[in-house]
Amino acid sequence: MILQLKNIFKWVNSGGNRVFLLNDIDFTVNEGEFISIMGPSGSGKTTLLNVIGMLDNFNEGEYTFLDESVHDLKEKHRANLYKEYIGFVFQSYHLIDELTVYENIETPLLYKKHSRSERKAMVADMLDRFNIVGKKDLFPSQLSGGQQQLVGIARALVSSPKLILADEPTGNLNSAQGEEIMQLFKKLNEEGVTIIQVTHSESNATYGSRTIHLKDGLIVNN
Amino acid sequence: MIKNYFKIAWRNLLKSKGYTLINIGGLALGMAIVLLISLWVYDELTFNQSHDNYNDIAQVMSRKTRNGKKAIRYAMPYPIGDELRAKYGEDFKHVVMSSFHGDNVLAIDDKKLSRRGGFMEPGALSMLSLDMIYGDWEGLNDPNSIVISESTAKSFFGEDNPLGNTMRIANKLDVLVTGVYKDMPYNTTFKDLDFIVPWALYALSFPWVKEAKDNNLWGNNSYQLFVQIAEGKTMTAVTNTIKNTILNNIPEYGKREKPELVLHPMKDWHLRSDWKDGFNAGGFIQYVWLFGVVGLFVLLLACINFMNLSTAQSEKRAKEVGIRKTVGSSKYQLINQFLSESFLVVLMAFVLAACLVFLAMPSFNDMADKQIVFPFKSVTFWLASLVFITITSLLAGSYPALYLSAFRPVKVLKGTFKSGKSTTSFRQALVVVQFTVSVILVIGTIVVEKQIDYSKNRPIGYEMNGLVMIEKTTEDYEGKYNIMRNDLISSGAVVDMAESSSPLTDVWSTNSGFEWEGKSPDFITNIATVSVSHDYGKTIDWDVVEGRDFSRTFATDSTAFILNETAVKYMDLKTPIGKIIRWNNQEHQVIGTVKDILAVSPFEPVLPTVYMIKYFNTNWINLKLHPSQSTSTSLATIKTILSKHAPNVPFEYQFVDNTFAEKFEAVERIRKLSTIFAIFAIFISCLGLFGLASFIAEQRTKEIGIRKVVGASVFSLWQLLSKGFVKLVVLAILVATPLAYYGVSQWLNNYTYRTEVSWWVFAIACIGAIGITLLTVSFQAIKVAVANPIKSLRTE
Repeated sequence: MILQLKNIFKWVNSGGNRVFLLNDIDFTVNEGEFISIMGPSGSGKTTLLNVIGMLDNFNEGEYTFLDESVHDLKEKHRANLYKEYIGFVFQSYHLIDELTVYENIETPLLYKKHSRSERKAMVADMLDRFNIVGKKDLFPSQLSGGQQQLVGIARALVSSPKLILADEPTGNLNSAQGEEIMQLFKKLNEEGVTIIQVTHSESNATYGSRTIHLKDGLIVNN
Repeated sequence: MIKNYFKIAWRNLLKSKGYTLINIGGLALGMAIVLLISLWVYDELTFNQSHDNYNDIAQVMSRKTRNGKKAIRYAMPYPIGDELRAKYGEDFKHVVMSSFHGDNVLAIDDKKLSRRGGFMEPGALSMLSLDMIYGDWEGLNDPNSIVISESTAKSFFGEDNPLGNTMRIANKLDVLVTGVYKDMPYNTTFKDLDFIVPWALYALSFPWVKEAKDNNLWGNNSYQLFVQIAEGKTMTAVTNTIKNTILNNIPEYGKREKPELVLHPMKDWHLRSDWKDGFNAGGFIQYVWLFGVVGLFVLLLACINFMNLSTAQSEKRAKEVGIRKTVGSSKYQLINQFLSESFLVVLMAFVLAACLVFLAMPSFNDMADKQIVFPFKSVTFWLASLVFITITSLLAGSYPALYLSAFRPVKVLKGTFKSGKSTTSFRQALVVVQFTVSVILVIGTIVVEKQIDYSKNRPIGYEMNGLVMIEKTTEDYEGKYNIMRNDLISSGAVVDMAESSSPLTDVWSTNSGFEWEGKSPDFITNIATVSVSHDYGKTIDWDVVEGRDFSRTFATDSTAFILNETAVKYMDLKTPIGKIIRWNNQEHQVIGTVKDILAVSPFEPVLPTVYMIKYFNTNWINLKLHPSQSTSTSLATIKTILSKHAPNVPFEYQFVDNTFAEKFEAVERIRKLSTIFAIFAIFISCLGLFGLASFIAEQRTKEIGIRKVVGASVFSLWQLLSKGFVKLVVLAILVATPLAYYGVSQWLNNYTYRTEVSWWVFAIACIGAIGITLLTVSFQAIKVAVANPIKSLRTE
């Protein structure tokens, strides 16, 4: 078991009413799984992903990540935890525009006290693995969407996380590019990386080992 | 890590060149001003510090009480030096009596040059720790010796060793050169001291000094006294010990003034030279403080621009912060990143500032009357600069760093991030601070300007045009008054000539002991006395108010007095003409009154003055040039005639109007400096305003597009965008006005003769500030307002 959510509630108060973003979520992820979260717009998919990624807080419930009780942890510990074990992939890639491909991939390593030569080796490995060595000195704006997302995934993977959280990773891509990215995820999963993706597309969901459907913050089937 | 920080900082700077330019340019200007001011302040604070005994040297003065008012007198009686040495020898390392320094003719054979110097006791050389090139500090022990400065030695002897040569001083005393000292640095009190002759020679060569010496005259104050206190003694302790030295020795009539000795330490000579009611009242130090504070404010303005522009760009940086946080950056690391970014900007600004300062140094020196050298080689300077850069980057960068690093990734990455109201109001507050400072500086500058104008327009009581003064530094002119005057007038070079004991631009003697009918016996008089020749009034064209001018047709005029209007008021004479005034056991009849002649300070009241006839030992020749002849021709003629009558005296003259104008030099300097600082402050503020306006215009592009589509006119859009800024500036004016009013009133209090702070000064500053704001903002406002709305809406 890599993480477990127990009775997670998250709400906002809007005009005197309590609006639930997450409503009593119970959910366990085991190592090596590839989970797809689906649901209509506003159903809480991204919120759930952010809670799992510890970028967002929840109001009630228990969250255990690798035997650590996340809900009891201080902000700083939490940051250390996700820095160590989680990699993020975003729909709009979220690369730093002012950094080259190489530097973007290197960024997470900078925050982890790797030596210069170590960083060089790790980034080179990623570039190689994704076949983008020739693009290492280009800036994000010089790449196609699919290539940008490759860099985004390379960045998420470079520090060898246990879990990849992907928020509609193919949402901004055409179908061919999307297909390529999904194949890549599948391959990563087979190599042992646990993946949770949020997606709108049924076909993308089929790459996963399990699908969770959300509606109005509730899990409708599991 | 640091490298990565700098890299991204650099790329960000390149990406938004406009902001970068405003940021670095503004900061560089601010830093350049701070650098200049720091160098200037350092120069002022180290005045006289080149003397090794800086901390132990003092000038001895006396505090006297006249008619209930205390006042400080620099002049000391002759016997006081010996008395201090005899009674309190252990308190002093050196006691040095000195004449007042003045111009004298130095001569070797036919080579005659006018040089400034004085008679001083032998300890002067060691006390002032003069850097001797030839000879040593014992050089003045022989009464017939002279010690000269390096530049004086050069002009007489070239590169030769001058020791052992004989020079003639004042065309009558032969002295042997026994030493040459290196010229003192320009920022010392004694920088103009070209030669020193032994004190003992003073009494040997001047009868009036000999009289004071032989008769132990404690009541005649004509000398200066410098001391170096002994090691381990403090100024206060020594002051207390010697306090009553004059009181204990002076004859009965002098005791009424309760003279009390005061030590004025060398470190205060330059910056704390004002006295009020007998106590030190600061002086130039207030400007050192003032400009120091102004410098800090200008830097603050530049830093505010940095903060303002950095937070204004926060939306652009928000995404990066979000990404960095999700890939594992801590807040602390982000703060570091933004601080190193501001360090980079400040560092670049500093390099630019240093270049600016280097280039501006000559003109700055010119303006501030300094000889400051850019301290390339000073390690201290570079260390101080590093501290300065660090502090500036913290000052400018800490707020943006804290603000930017606090973004929550979930929010900023969603793309819905808009910087909130709080940051807008913070930025507005910064703009208010900027304009407050600028408006205060502008008001200050206008008031300084007004005060100068006011005192320049003050009536001076005589006609200054074409008046030339010549100081009689030797006795060669004595007894030749009439023949010289006739020659000069008949040559056509001058209209008239007269002599006087004081120059037109100063008062050289004040006296007490005047008695008249109706004077209260307790009233201790202190009246300026000016001896003049009969032709003085005509030469300078003074205004006779009542009675008549001196005239040769009345033999009795040799004892007559002419009073200035202040003297009439001072003596409370209802009908001054014909009144008898007793002075020095003699009766003097008042034959006329004249309009006040502005001789001393254009900012202070005119002294009550008595004019009397005297042809002996007058110090100045005054000439009124012929208006129809060119000045250079007249001067050439005058030179020929004077050198005929006094062949041993070099021809040196000064124009009265130039000498008078020197009285405004200090305040003119302040005017120039404050004008420059005010201009830069406004400029820097405008840069900030411009940056902010372009940012806000950019932010509101969509809103403006919509407004335009629904029918808003360009004018109404311009109004909409400008209104907010005008409001801020009005607020700044409201804050600045009372502060400025208080400040300038305090400053004007330094001057007895002062302009008032008129309402229009504030009006000009306010209208100016609003006008400049509108100009700055309108550029952006109009650009956005005339843009095609289709374009701006499509960008969404």
